[in-house]
Amino acid sequence: MRQLLRVALDLLLEAARRKWFLALFGAITFVLLLLGFSLQLDVIDGAIAGSKLFGSLLFDDIVSANQVMAGLYKVTAYVSFYGGAFFLAIACSDFAPELLAPGRIEHLLSLPVSRWQLLFGTYVGVVTLAALGVLYGAGGLTVLLGLKTGVWNFKLLLGSGVGWVGFCALYAVMLTANFFVRSAALSGALGVVTLILGVVASFRESIAVAMEAGPGRELFGWAMLPIPRLGTLATVSAHLAASEPLDGEMVGRLLVGCLIFSAALLSVAAWRFERKDF
Amino acid sequence: MTSALAVSQLFKTYQGLFGPAQAALRGLTLSVPKGSAFGLIGPNGAGKTTFIKVLLGVVRPTSGEVTVLGGDPQDTAVRARIGYLPERMHLPAALRGRDFLRSVATLKRLTPTDAQLVGLLERVGLRTGEQRVGTFSKGMRQRLGLAAAMLGEPELLILDEPTDGIDPVGRVEVRTLLLEEKKRGATILLNSHLLAETERICDRIGVLDHGQLKLEGTLDDVRKAASSWVVRFQGEVAADVAGFVRTDAGWTFEGDVEGLNDALDAARQAGLRVVAVTPQTRDLEAVLTESLRTGS
Repeated sequence: MRQLLRVALDLLLEAARRKWFLALFGAITFVLLLLGFSLQLDVIDGAIAGSKLFGSLLFDDIVSANQVMAGLYKVTAYVSFYGGAFFLAIACSDFAPELLAPGRIEHLLSLPVSRWQLLFGTYVGVVTLAALGVLYGAGGLTVLLGLKTGVWNFKLLLGSGVGWVGFCALYAVMLTANFFVRSAALSGALGVVTLILGVVASFRESIAVAMEAGPGRELFGWAMLPIPRLGTLATVSAHLAASEPLDGEMVGRLLVGCLIFSAALLSVAAWRFERKDF
Repeated sequence: MTSALAVSQLFKTYQGLFGPAQAALRGLTLSVPKGSAFGLIGPNGAGKTTFIKVLLGVVRPTSGEVTVLGGDPQDTAVRARIGYLPERMHLPAALRGRDFLRSVATLKRLTPTDAQLVGLLERVGLRTGEQRVGTFSKGMRQRLGLAAAMLGEPELLILDEPTDGIDPVGRVEVRTLLLEEKKRGATILLNSHLLAETERICDRIGVLDHGQLKLEGTLDDVRKAASSWVVRFQGEVAADVAGFVRTDAGWTFEGDVEGLNDALDAARQAGLRVVAVTPQTRDLEAVLTESLRTGS
């Protein structure tokens, strides 16, 4: 376990030096600081009497702080789900090719560490990196609005956590692909394609209805079946963040589906890794 | 003498996805005694790197037996006793030299102190443990790789072109280090194209070509495995001596041992007295060239 965590830690140390992640950290910090200094909220007993951004009046009706935060959280959850997944798919695309680079993988494999530890160490490192991004972004906004309104609502963190599960599935595809073809470009492209397919899969029933009945529709149905429904997951994430009611069973099925999908792909990666010569 | 590593009838064939299969090792049988420094030499594509990767469990053999330090290289407990430096080491650019060593130490299940890591870095000539690996020169990277290989005093050191990119002064330092490691009792397997370096470090040599061992033995043996002797006769020899050729080295005989004895008998019968017979030693370049030419 110590070795697996060391592989993950090395990946995080490497990420901390990369411009992509420094830019992400900088961008989140910038947005939080901007909101922190520019957003003025007049809060009276949990209700917002008025709000100004950059000195301009946003609204002057009295609304509950929760109501305002729900709207903001919903938008943030959508943006962080799609934006975050897209950004991370590109920014994390070369971690696996780096691990498998000639001159590095031979050295790692010569050490008393199992191949599965290298594989899962890399996976854990990347998903931890994504989790840290979620915690910093969503956590920062939660704290900022909590301080400004006095109302502490942690639903954005919960919603973003659900979105993070979607990224875990996405990265499982990206990581596994590298054990067949080592390529950062392919890895990043597959991440984006999986995200798009995940949205398509969310509407598979309605798309299928629009297709002509026959083998094409059947094939589409089967092809979309194993793809995690990332579009639905994004909606769930946003609704959770906005404290809107949700079907718990449906959420559970979605999350379990993502986890099974990730586990299945990582099993394929482990199988391939164990048999591969370097 | 116990073997640090032994392979028997080792075959490795790489299956091409579209192209033909490529045989990298063809029935290789070899044993390297514990505590020795074994130099593996041969032309490019001879199978040296594949052989090394098989010893480390990085590549799985198609068939044959592999025993490293008495066990299977797939066993992590066996690999814990090996130090390895790859030919072109790819280091994580973001880490500092000392962080990299710490990372390797953790993966090797070692817990060295900071002082030990700094000491090891200094031993390989790196006094920049705080510098990021990404800013290292090729020679510095190689030195760091060597430090990583030496971490935990492994019983077996497998080094693939250890002085690649290191300047001549640095090469002497690396050679001294390797000789110190040998003195400590470590077995060294050295793959280097620098034959003079191999000659200075190794006491055993193996010539690999087309995946087969063409020649193997102690350094003295392979250098002597010559078919050439220099004979010194008593007094001045005016006329030609049958079977011998006068060269810069003296009266030289080319042929096998039987032929040498016959020629010596004939010289004695001609009234000459033999004072010394010295087998002509060759440098490794000549050994390699000849064994590749003759196939043995």
